Amino acid sequence: MNERDEALKELVRRAAGGPADRELKRDLWPEMLRRLDRPPVRVPWFDWAAAALLLLCLLLFPEVIPAVLYQL
Amino acid sequence: MTGTAEAELERFTRGDIQAFEALFREYQGQVYGWIVRMVRDPGIAEDLTLETFWRVYLARSRFDPRRPFGAWTRRIATNLAIEYLSRRRAEKPLDHDPPQQRAPYAVPDPAVGADVRAKVLAAFGELPPKLCAAATLAMIEETPYAEIADALGISINGVKSRVFRAVRLLRRSLKKRGVCP
Repeated sequence: MNERDEALKELVRRAAGGPADRELKRDLWPEMLRRLDRPPVRVPWFDWAAAALLLLCLLLFPEVIPAVLYQL
Repeated sequence: MTGTAEAELERFTRGDIQAFEALFREYQGQVYGWIVRMVRDPGIAEDLTLETFWRVYLARSRFDPRRPFGAWTRRIATNLAIEYLSRRRAEKPLDHDPPQQRAPYAVPDPAVGADVRAKVLAAFGELPPKLCAAATLAMIEETPYAEIADALGISINGVKSRVFRAVRLLRRSLKKRGVCP
């Protein structure tokens, strides 16, 4: 780095307040454990049925595809 | 790597929660310390640390226990921090937001005027995320190039090139704002 780059670097460093405090102030394991214990997301059966019905309609009546896309 | 450490990593890859807890407790400080250097916000860094370990846990079966766990985790953390910097860059601050709310964490040097400081931070925030990450680590955090290269998965020359491009963009952006260091 040349002198001008060093001056820019110094300005950036001072404006940003220098290096961040890198010390973790608390134990994150309890939060991690909560996340691990969270039940996986489940899609209800009627959502699958609705999606299948929609797909079937699109296959049987492809002319409705533009209307469906318009509604999205 | 010791036999015990490798055995623990082996158990972790099989989904042993106690092995994961031991690794989490051993590495959470390092991962947080690395992320906070890049994002410079303790709250965001904590969230990203949790997300890093969540992804580590989900990908456990693909991890080779003979490889260093710390380096693998740091790579995941780096990618998450860069993703965050991309999102932050895409979110344009509102015009009426006071500058200090947009500013990164840490106490600025009072010798630098608030106006200049706001302009420097705004110019820094406009950098492309990969350049921003490299420049933050090299220019503000004064992290050795070799360490940056390892975490970003690029060569030392690659880091130098990113920092050089960041400096050039910063200079241009600051010039437009009327700041010429």
